[in-house]
Amino acid sequence: MNMDAEILTALRSSGAGSLSGTELAQRLGVSRAAVWARIEDLRALGYEITASPHGGYRLLSTPDVLHADDLLSRLGKTRVIGRDIRVFRETTSTNDIIEKLARDGVREGVVVFAESQTKGRGRLGRRWVSPRGAGLWFSILLRPVLRPHEATQLTIMAATALARAIREQTDFTLEVKWPNDILVGGRKVAGILTEPTAELDRIRHVVLGIGLDVNQAAGDFPPDLRRIATSLRAEAGRPFDRAELAVTVLRALDRDYLRLKEGQFEGLAAEWEQLCTTLGRDVTILLGSRRIRGRAESLDSEGALLVRTEHGRLERITGGDVTLAK
Amino acid sequence: MDLKDIKAVIEIMRKNSISEFEMENQGFKIRLKRGANVIGLPPSSDESAHAPVFAATPSAVPTALPPAASVLNADAEIKSPMIGTFYRAPSPESAPYVEVGTEVGPDTVVCIIEAMKVMNEIKAEVKGVISKVLVENAKPVEYGQPMFKVRPS
Repeated sequence: MNMDAEILTALRSSGAGSLSGTELAQRLGVSRAAVWARIEDLRALGYEITASPHGGYRLLSTPDVLHADDLLSRLGKTRVIGRDIRVFRETTSTNDIIEKLARDGVREGVVVFAESQTKGRGRLGRRWVSPRGAGLWFSILLRPVLRPHEATQLTIMAATALARAIREQTDFTLEVKWPNDILVGGRKVAGILTEPTAELDRIRHVVLGIGLDVNQAAGDFPPDLRRIATSLRAEAGRPFDRAELAVTVLRALDRDYLRLKEGQFEGLAAEWEQLCTTLGRDVTILLGSRRIRGRAESLDSEGALLVRTEHGRLERITGGDVTLAK
Repeated sequence: MDLKDIKAVIEIMRKNSISEFEMENQGFKIRLKRGANVIGLPPSSDESAHAPVFAATPSAVPTALPPAASVLNADAEIKSPMIGTFYRAPSPESAPYVEVGTEVGPDTVVCIIEAMKVMNEIKAEVKGVISKVLVENAKPVEYGQPMFKVRPS
């Protein structure tokens, strides 16, 4: 952990109390002047830190910016996801940055956030509108020991973790639409884009991209998306602390990724089935020019959707565009 | 050598567009250097006279300068749009975005400047080939500081 992260961790752990410069300096093994300089930098970033000659330093409030060191400080220790966090002001898509890191051989678990994306994307080449500071737009590098056809397991894992994390912070009834959308009140609030790079018989790496609409007002969405997209704030009627949400999501993902690595996909899938609104519903699936109609029955061991068609046949769906019948 | 001689040397330098004159004789040493306006070199140190960054416009470059200088003159510079820390890669474990010889386009990301704890991707803004990396990784950069040279293609 670097010094900013240690200072913030120390100040947070002292809660309403305060920490003297001497105490902080001793904990960090630096001079009081060095502590003071770091505190000044944190203040410049918008952290409200008071200092009194007798009481010492106290953290009053945190700005609504994603700060890599602060995220690391709040996250604490994770096994894989979030061992390294980087925050970009703007990029095309955070998946693009992670893809570069993957090709350069960086180890799994690194997370890249962007305050805005100019070419945020979803499945099937669709755009993901990612306005500055409004949501959580991030990607994670994973190197799972999975075979290429098992990549959907990661999408299922991520959807389950994301839904659990959102529920921890809200009282929403969440729905998951196979394979990668999270809905509130029938409208999309989060999406997952899993981009695997595979050899013939094994996955080399996976870029797991997540977009979570947090603090947009309902009117902030482009007109063509208002009927189908929403944000946590639009649903709850209050803004959310993005950094707190981010670490809650990362913790959930770290936990479920380990479950997946330990071969516990079935447990995850069971949890996912509880959340999934696709199962048991009549669905239409568009696979290129092919249209499949039927009832979504269950998930198979690889994460594919099993659909009983109108002709009574069981079809195994691994892609395409799923529409739920009303 | 007296003042009259020095004046004569200066006159010879002027007439023949000689920029520097140095002479040493029995403990006496003189060095004459002419100002920027005649041949276009800035009136500063030796250092800048050799640095192609500040070299004269091609029309004013005397034939005595090596031809490489006029080629370098045509190179564009990618300058830092902000004060911050210069990084050549998005993570210490990953490879630099560009090396000397890398072809870039206007939208190619060439480096990162970290400012206020946020990483800013910097684009080439020009089309060409990276000819020189001017800043060391993880070093601070100033606003407007040249970071790369790009030979236009």
